[in-house]
Amino acid sequence: MIISHTLSTKARPMSRDKADTLLLLLACVLVLAPQASHLPIWISCTGIALLLWRSWITFRGNRMPPLWFLLPIAALSMGGVFATFDTLFGRDAGVAMLALLLILKLLEMRARRDLFVVVFLSFFLLLTNFFYSQSILTAVLTVAAVIAMLSAQLSFQYTGVVPPLRQRLRSALFIFVLAAPLTIILFVLFPRIQGPLWGLPKDANAGRTGLSDSMTPGNIAQLALSREVAFRVKFLDPLPSQQRLYWRAVVLDQFDGRSWTRRPKSPSAAPPSGNVRTFVHYQITQEPGSQPWLFALDMPQSTPQLVDNPVTLTPDMQLVSRRAIDERVRYQLTSALDYALEPDASPERLKNNLLLPIGYNPMTLRFAAALHRRLHNDAQRIQAVLDFFGGKEYNFVYTLQPPLLDRNSVDDFLFRTRAGFCEHYAGAFVVLMRAMGIPARVVTGYQGGQINPVDGFLTVRQSDAHAWAEVWLPQRGWVRVDPTAAVSPDRIERNVDAAQASEPILGGLINMDTGRDSLLSRLRFRWDAINNGWNQWVLNYTPERQKNLLRSLGFDNIGWQTLALLAAAAGAAIMLAIGIPMLISRSRRDPIERVYAAFCKRMTRYGMPPHLYEGPRSYGSRLASSSLPVDSKHAVEQFLALLETARYAALDHASRIALLPQLITLLNRIR
Amino acid sequence: MSRSPSLRQPAARRLFRLGDAETGEVLLNQRRVFILPTWAGLLYSAMLIVLFLTSINYNLSLGFALTFLLGACALIDMHLTHRNLAQLYLSPGRAHAVFAGEEARFELHLLNRRKHDRFAIWIGFLDTDASRIDHATDIPAQASSTVALSTSTIERGWLSVPRIRLQTCFPLGLMRAWAYWRPDLRVLVYPRPEEHAPPLPLAQGQKMDGRGVAGHEDFAGIRPYQSGDSPRQLAWRQIARSDHRALIAKQFEGGAASELALDFQRLPQAMDIELKLSRMAAWVLAAEMRGLPYAFRLRDLYFPPAVGPAHQAACLQALALHERST
Repeated sequence: MIISHTLSTKARPMSRDKADTLLLLLACVLVLAPQASHLPIWISCTGIALLLWRSWITFRGNRMPPLWFLLPIAALSMGGVFATFDTLFGRDAGVAMLALLLILKLLEMRARRDLFVVVFLSFFLLLTNFFYSQSILTAVLTVAAVIAMLSAQLSFQYTGVVPPLRQRLRSALFIFVLAAPLTIILFVLFPRIQGPLWGLPKDANAGRTGLSDSMTPGNIAQLALSREVAFRVKFLDPLPSQQRLYWRAVVLDQFDGRSWTRRPKSPSAAPPSGNVRTFVHYQITQEPGSQPWLFALDMPQSTPQLVDNPVTLTPDMQLVSRRAIDERVRYQLTSALDYALEPDASPERLKNNLLLPIGYNPMTLRFAAALHRRLHNDAQRIQAVLDFFGGKEYNFVYTLQPPLLDRNSVDDFLFRTRAGFCEHYAGAFVVLMRAMGIPARVVTGYQGGQINPVDGFLTVRQSDAHAWAEVWLPQRGWVRVDPTAAVSPDRIERNVDAAQASEPILGGLINMDTGRDSLLSRLRFRWDAINNGWNQWVLNYTPERQKNLLRSLGFDNIGWQTLALLAAAAGAAIMLAIGIPMLISRSRRDPIERVYAAFCKRMTRYGMPPHLYEGPRSYGSRLASSSLPVDSKHAVEQFLALLETARYAALDHASRIALLPQLITLLNRIR
Repeated sequence: MSRSPSLRQPAARRLFRLGDAETGEVLLNQRRVFILPTWAGLLYSAMLIVLFLTSINYNLSLGFALTFLLGACALIDMHLTHRNLAQLYLSPGRAHAVFAGEEARFELHLLNRRKHDRFAIWIGFLDTDASRIDHATDIPAQASSTVALSTSTIERGWLSVPRIRLQTCFPLGLMRAWAYWRPDLRVLVYPRPEEHAPPLPLAQGQKMDGRGVAGHEDFAGIRPYQSGDSPRQLAWRQIARSDHRALIAKQFEGGAASELALDFQRLPQAMDIELKLSRMAAWVLAAEMRGLPYAFRLRDLYFPPAVGPAHQAACLQALALHERST
């Protein structure tokens, strides 16, 4: 052991402090690297430069920079942060400050306690990285950084021989592996508190994609490029056909010539009316966004409730929460696929759905007036417009890259460009309807989704964002009409991806077949299923989920006190399971020795302890002249004689052990 | 390393189970090993609280996971720190006699009978001055390590080893485990030899016939060298002549009265007793250096003339323990 230690010391030519510091630097790089993706570029560059400088100092054994040199750098960095973010506080600015602080601290590390400052800062930075990403990859990187940081921390604790790096990494890994079960127990059982505890900084939920509360040509097309998941659905009833998967979010009924917006609405007092026939039950896990919409299949029949965030169902069937959905939420819904919404609405109620801005789109208005004159009922008029969109001779094109439109955007679209995305078609359709006196409105949301065969969840992505129209017909109420379907029926039967048949990779250099059964798509399904499980069970482990899990384990209506007790008990059990093997003295003493030890103990009880220098024989002779009863003295004599045989005679192990019962009998005769 | 609370208070003594000296090998079982967080450990728990609050506020599920992971690491560190010290066997080693004023060295053996290496165990005396230095030692698995601790000596007599504290913060430095040990180990401290002592009392007092000193020159024959003979007694001429270059010593004869005698009683009555002992010690050393056999008398104790390490040790021990309980 000693020799191997000496050898390993020789195998490390680098001096101890150097190696330890370089390891610490490496751990810090692991901590800082994921931050580079969201830190301003100048901070990343400064960080890399300072870290390189620091490693060079360590490597060459140069002197550390003096404080008067570091202070201006620190002040400049702070100024830079202020210039970039306009504040020193808040989430993003705070993270930038922390990252700079860690790097500068590495340049100012002198005493042993500075090590702990670096370690603590690193751990905090690891946490801040979760503001930006909580993916599986981030989790794996974080674990790697924690292990590296632990081995750096551990390396500074050695005083004599320092084992090679591999062994130190193994020690850190050992700590991690032992800590993992406890982590899981705490994660599952520690009473969860629903945040936030105090106001979040304004930038807490910045930069999330999702449907907005208005529709301007171009903004849904932008969404269509995003592969981000909008929400996932688990159907409790059989999956409805793809053509019926219209996920309703926002109803837009106000047009200003360019944008469609929502009219502020009073919450509905009356329950949603409808002649309900086909019910479907499902559960939605919605990704965080910056808007307060919940998604429901046309038409929702119930209003789900979220913790601390009341949801209302408006008369036009929007589910709106009070606050933006800034965290992943899950809710259960029931929808009626066949419905009659407001079949007997008063003209007063429908008045707003006939308004058009004055002075816009004269050609469209003339076209509508001509249609209105030529045809006799609303159904025919609607069909005529759909035929217009779908007619081969009119050359309407469905495209993600529509040309720009001028002031009279609908005129321009209908009679000049004839190329657009769903929002163009829906918007133009509603304008035509209103011009013909049919109450109509735009609905945005998502259409379709992709079933993951691995876990059966339907995944709806931002690229599934869609806009369609609703028209009001007497007796039938509001009816959904999707003009896009007239142009590109594929879009509705499958989804954007499928409509494009293959997905360009590397800017179109390689076209890979991403059909439903290709290897790539199976891999993607599997990865999606894993991600979904991660979201469902790790990221979305809310107080509610915790309660449900415990209920399924048989703990009904558990309070946080009981929960804390449960967590403590489970934690203690694990700690014992880890701790006891460490402490149990596995003394594998010879059984003969144990009998002699028992003998000495007994004699000590009678007031005649053995002396340290005494062997059994001299001890025996001293006991022989003691005040023990004669019988006992005899037993002692026999016992010690037999012990001597058992110990020193040329016996094999088995016959030695065979003497044990005799010894014990003799021992028990001593009183 | 932080200082412990004063261990002279009875409560502290009971809490830390500070008993009398223990004989022989001692096992540091878990009852004897105490553990508390270090300053770094306390700051670490503060950091955990901050992480926890941040996780709640931003609803960071992975933040919770990280917080719990780091908390669990600290708990595991507590186990490992405790394990680093617990189940260690301690046994006292040798301790050589020293002269007062010198550093007394105590050898201590630390035996690791477990299958894991132990690192960075600091060992030092507890009750001595603050400037003491703790020694750090590593003990590989199934091996032992020997540490020599020294403490300054002031008085002659037996010096018991002060209470020893073993402590460790390994592996993460967040926890400090420590244990106390007072081995039954003592060292004999001889009186400090007087500096610039008067010359050896060669003929002093024994003015009988003048042969006392001359007796040494009274050649009586030769004999084989015996260990303990002074180099001055070697019969160089005979050695040179002998075939095997065997060492041969001259045998002298002389009256006992003529030998060097170190007698405590003959020192002036008015002299301080410690000074007298110091002078005796200095003379013993001087006689040994010159290889002169000397007789030794201290009150009732008398050692006939002799020279050599055993004789010297016996004389110095007598001086050290004069009027001291053993």
